[in-house]
Amino acid sequence: MTFDILLQWLRGPVFWAGLAFMVLGLGRHVAITVWGIIRSYRRAGDKTIPTRQVVSATLRWLFLTQGLKNRLLYGLNTLIFHISIILVPIFLAGHIALWERGIGLSWPALPNGLSTALTIIAVIAAVTIVIQRVVFRESRRLSRFQDFVMPLIVAIPFATGFLVMHPAWNPFSHQFMLFLHVLSGDLLFFLIPITKLSHMVLLPGTQIVSELAWHFPSESGSRVGEALGKANEPI
Amino acid sequence: MGNTTRDKYSYYVEQKALDVTDRPRKFLEAFAAVLEHGNYGVALETYTRLSTKCGRCASSCQLYEDTREERDIPCQRSELLMRIYRRYFTQLGILKARFSRAFILTDEYLDTMADEFYRCTACRRCKSSCPLGIDHGLITHLARYILSEIDVIPKALLVATREQLEGVGNTSAIPVPALKDTCEFLEEELEELYGVNITFPFDVEGAEFVFFPAVSDYLLEADTLMGNAAVMHVTGGSWTIGTGNYDGINYGLFYSDRMMERIVNNVIKEVHRLDGSKVLVGECGHATRSAWYVPTFGGPDAPPVVNCLQYAHEMLMAGRIPLKKEKIKERVTYHDPCNIARTGRITEEPREILKAICEDFVEMTPNRTENYCCGGGGGTVSIDEIREIRTGPLGKRKADQIRATGAHYVVSPCANCKKQLREVCEDNDLEEVRVVGLHDLLLEVIDFGVPKPGEGDEASESEAAGEEE
Repeated sequence: MTFDILLQWLRGPVFWAGLAFMVLGLGRHVAITVWGIIRSYRRAGDKTIPTRQVVSATLRWLFLTQGLKNRLLYGLNTLIFHISIILVPIFLAGHIALWERGIGLSWPALPNGLSTALTIIAVIAAVTIVIQRVVFRESRRLSRFQDFVMPLIVAIPFATGFLVMHPAWNPFSHQFMLFLHVLSGDLLFFLIPITKLSHMVLLPGTQIVSELAWHFPSESGSRVGEALGKANEPI
Repeated sequence: MGNTTRDKYSYYVEQKALDVTDRPRKFLEAFAAVLEHGNYGVALETYTRLSTKCGRCASSCQLYEDTREERDIPCQRSELLMRIYRRYFTQLGILKARFSRAFILTDEYLDTMADEFYRCTACRRCKSSCPLGIDHGLITHLARYILSEIDVIPKALLVATREQLEGVGNTSAIPVPALKDTCEFLEEELEELYGVNITFPFDVEGAEFVFFPAVSDYLLEADTLMGNAAVMHVTGGSWTIGTGNYDGINYGLFYSDRMMERIVNNVIKEVHRLDGSKVLVGECGHATRSAWYVPTFGGPDAPPVVNCLQYAHEMLMAGRIPLKKEKIKERVTYHDPCNIARTGRITEEPREILKAICEDFVEMTPNRTENYCCGGGGGTVSIDEIREIRTGPLGKRKADQIRATGAHYVVSPCANCKKQLREVCEDNDLEEVRVVGLHDLLLEVIDFGVPKPGEGDEASESEAAGEEE
């Protein structure tokens, strides 16, 4: 009974609050970045941007093809991981049914078999990504706590979702698993804008942002000199 | 200015660097000013949010590949500056600091930064392997800039820049009479070696090109300069050397945007003084990349910038550089200077020239935009006291690449790369390899239409025979 009430709550107000938090938070990132890009471009002394190069680098990384050039296994794993976690939540038939019931919108769904396969792949990929992070000396040394934990947190809704759909494998009650599934999904909405998961909206802008940083405003140097009272200071 | 010290860092700094007090505050003030007036803010804002610490950059860094030290992972180094940004310049960082024991910028931390950011050559190779597009070369550039505002600047770079902006007017402290003597000597050499009368023109008003090589070429790279002059001679190019400013070197690119702006503006001023129309940059990577900032600082009236490789390539393809029948016989390979090749701006021109003039041209791998730095990038080549790391961990990869080609000549159209590559070859058992500029080889094969002194009649006879066939 309790789970029922909690579930109602998680599927209702908490879901909508989480979704709003995510959309607004990511919207804020996008707004700050776009505004930063426009401002940098306006201030740049030289406005010639190597557009082809920037677009090509952006696309290569957006579709992760560049990532296969070194550390192939890691690259492949992250590629598979991203494909699964993007496709399943949006195109799962069960989720689309909920959207249709809630706001009357629907779109084509993935076949259930494929969704199940991608769900399993997502969980395995998440775990192996953490293992790879530990195994590779470089990433192990750099990693913060969130870097180890985040893939696992992302994997929870997938693992629980699988168990919800496959009662034979589920050691707990259906209600409890559904509760965990919705809870972890809601949690992600809140985490996305405030963790590195925000790269989902920041990534497309990063190449142009890097390029523009090299396009100095025409008097940026002398202005810094004046601001620091060093304009006439001998070298 | 003899008051220098190497007590604290791996390189010499002037005593004044150690006398600065209240450094963390001054560093943060400088950081704030740079953020306000530059375009770095949005990059830092984005980088600090999306950095995933995947460590992919490590696999593209030649320094890390050799040392395997954590501090040499590009992302780790960049984090040194990003941590300061996050703590002092983001709302979340400021808020967190109120409620918890936050990171505090200290003198020791700044000292660590001072050492770490001069271990990186700012070659930007790692940028292409970062999934998030973080430009670690940009972070190194920025960190060094802010450090320079608390006087942490390698003495070698500082002294040269002072000489250029406040002293004789160029980084090698060559006065005009000495410059003219050198050029006269080069003219005599050209006459003696090639039997041709080529002049180095000074202060020609209205010339199309005003020439800015790395000024050190006048001391160290006679063949490159003779090659430059020879190309201008045979193509009938209108060019001049301005006695008001004849130095393309810009160490501002390596440590201070403030200095960079002043040096670029002096280049523009000299072109305007001579009523010239274009900047012609000699064989120098960073001088070229700095000169590409002419439109940034010079506005809409800024003169266009041409690198001598682009000029020579255009002329060669147009058939305006007559070549001898005999090509360079020895095996030749090409090292891409990061500053002109990393973004793909100049990669094919030198190759097409070399293929036209060499019998046996081989590529080193990887090359072009993926090339490895010579190990002396970012101004580190000028810091003699760190030669051990430059030719050791930083230069080893390049030595292996050169060795694998089996080349006799390594061509690199960059004064810094050439100095560094010679030292790399010396320190890595590659004494037989000759490091040269591209114009050095071009000079060897240009057909001036006159017999080479000493070869006289024989040469012309065989040429005549060849023509008859």
